[in-house]
Amino acid sequence: MKKNKTGFLSIPYLIWMTAFTLIPLGVVAYYALTDPATGVFSLRNVRELSLYMPVLWRSIGYSLVSALLCLVLGYPAAYYIAHCGRTTQKFLYMLVMLPMCMSFLLRTLAWVGLLQDTGIINNILAAIGLPRLRMIRTPGAVVLGMVYNYLPYMILPLYATIVKIDGRLIEAAEDLGCNGVQVFARVVLPLSVPGILSGVTMVFVPAVSTFYISQKLGGTDTVLIGDVIERQFKQGSNPNLGAALSLLLMILVFVCTGIMNHFGGSSEEGSVMV
Amino acid sequence: MSKELIRLRDLTMEFDGERILDGINLYINDHEFLTLLGPSGCGKTTTLRIIGGFLTPTSGTVTFDGQTINDVPPYKRQINTVFQRYALFPHLDVYDNIAFGLRVAKVPKDEVDSRVREMLEIVSLKGYENRRVDSLSGGQQQRVAIARALVNRPKVLLLDEPLGALDLRLRKDMQNELKRIQQAMGITFIYVTHDQEEALSMSDTVVVMDKGRIQQIGRPEDIYNEPKNAFVADFIGESNILDGVMLEDYRVRFFGRVFECVDKGFAPNEPVDVVIRPEDIDIVPKDQGHLVGTVTGVTFKGLNYDIIVEFKGFKWLIQTTDYHGIGTTIGIRLNPEDIHIMHKSEYSGMFGDYSSYSAEYDELTEDADGEEE
Repeated sequence: MKKNKTGFLSIPYLIWMTAFTLIPLGVVAYYALTDPATGVFSLRNVRELSLYMPVLWRSIGYSLVSALLCLVLGYPAAYYIAHCGRTTQKFLYMLVMLPMCMSFLLRTLAWVGLLQDTGIINNILAAIGLPRLRMIRTPGAVVLGMVYNYLPYMILPLYATIVKIDGRLIEAAEDLGCNGVQVFARVVLPLSVPGILSGVTMVFVPAVSTFYISQKLGGTDTVLIGDVIERQFKQGSNPNLGAALSLLLMILVFVCTGIMNHFGGSSEEGSVMV
Repeated sequence: MSKELIRLRDLTMEFDGERILDGINLYINDHEFLTLLGPSGCGKTTTLRIIGGFLTPTSGTVTFDGQTINDVPPYKRQINTVFQRYALFPHLDVYDNIAFGLRVAKVPKDEVDSRVREMLEIVSLKGYENRRVDSLSGGQQQRVAIARALVNRPKVLLLDEPLGALDLRLRKDMQNELKRIQQAMGITFIYVTHDQEEALSMSDTVVVMDKGRIQQIGRPEDIYNEPKNAFVADFIGESNILDGVMLEDYRVRFFGRVFECVDKGFAPNEPVDVVIRPEDIDIVPKDQGHLVGTVTGVTFKGLNYDIIVEFKGFKWLIQTTDYHGIGTTIGIRLNPEDIHIMHKSEYSGMFGDYSSYSAEYDELTEDADGEEE
């Protein structure tokens, strides 16, 4: 075996990683496993987690629904872009990226302006004599916010995977008797699995831990785990419990990505480890 | 004996105003091994892709078993293809790759299994069922590609430079194997290659193409022995091509001397191209020769020496098993059957002069470098 001589190049990142990720993670774990009042080892926070399980399941549910909606919206778009001419591809790719250039907070606030009871949509409805709809502070609004914000993270990995599928494989499938639908089902879709997995992961992971979207677009019945964690720290209720919740969320994300990578076959191209 | 299966009539193909095929007329018989041979860009792959249904010709018709199939999509044709660099499905293992077409056709499971196993045996890949295709060597991938196409029992198999990516040794083995499979299964093969040796050794019929046109169609022997023009003579094997004048039937003059030949049917005193194959030339002592020349170059080729001999300023390539050193004066004799006469064509004067022979060696060296990469 030849010794890899480029190892020293990773030293700056290793220092960064240790200082700002590994040590803080240790601090989180320390807080999670100590008593807020006395500072000694305690499983009190862990036991309290069970109270928050419904919130956690809700977070997972909303994120999964958002990821699936992103997939349904994003796959045809990514497929279309991947089959355009080179210049059109570049242009459309930029278009997909465009919302990401705008502040995340601003994008979410814009939806508030659109959806709220006296917002643009309801004002238009009222003006043409239709009843006002209750859109804001509903689960639908939260999912909409997630889909809107994270859709580019679905389209980009899908596009990257689909554009790499060799055109001759499609010809080979046609040659072996596949019509258009069969070519898609038997060749294109299986070969896009790595892109689907990485897209779903890249939507699911930020969505499951978000708090801003649910705070602005959701109501009291759509509180997500991210909101709870934020409250434990910012409103000073119980940082130790917040730490325990964060730890739980992290484990959950690891388990989810692990499951998805297992089904996708880890050696496939285009998969993104998160 | 065998009936006509495919006919191409006045086929033309244009991409962005550039003419890729220019009036292709060709028929292909059932059970025939037909090779489309030519340099890159000659239109051979385009012709194959039209037959496969991946391209629609700009004009002209393709008929299959008497039916016009111009607009029939590939999946409805009784034709399968072995693609250049195989195009195996990377998400499927060997077995599933081969079973692909049968499963699309909804063949019962038992029959799929028996036919796939039969094909694995034919292409000598028993025991490789569950291997990933990207773990196979080039030759094995090649076999999977052939099995994947043949398992569907097509009437015609199209092969697009199928051996191009293999090394020389493996290529020879696969040539024999392909020929064996073709004869055993009785399927029409349409084979595309730029390798003239491959074309000659495998085919029943060779179609030589250049610049989008068919230059000559014939049995391998006819193509080699009676090339129609300077392009064919040069592309198939080595040829010395000289200017001559056909005085009358069986008599041709070149190099200021009249030779007997076996060709006839030319106009009196018609200017012609004279082809002399380097291996047909007999070397004799200089006082017995029809022509006398001086050796200016010698290359050892293993089986023989390639020597370059200058006759009155024109250099010939001669292949001989005896060594003749540079500077030696030798005589040559030409028998009537060694002299092939061709009509003048647009290719006259472009090929067959070995005055710049060293340049060809440069090309060969480049090829060798390419293989090492």
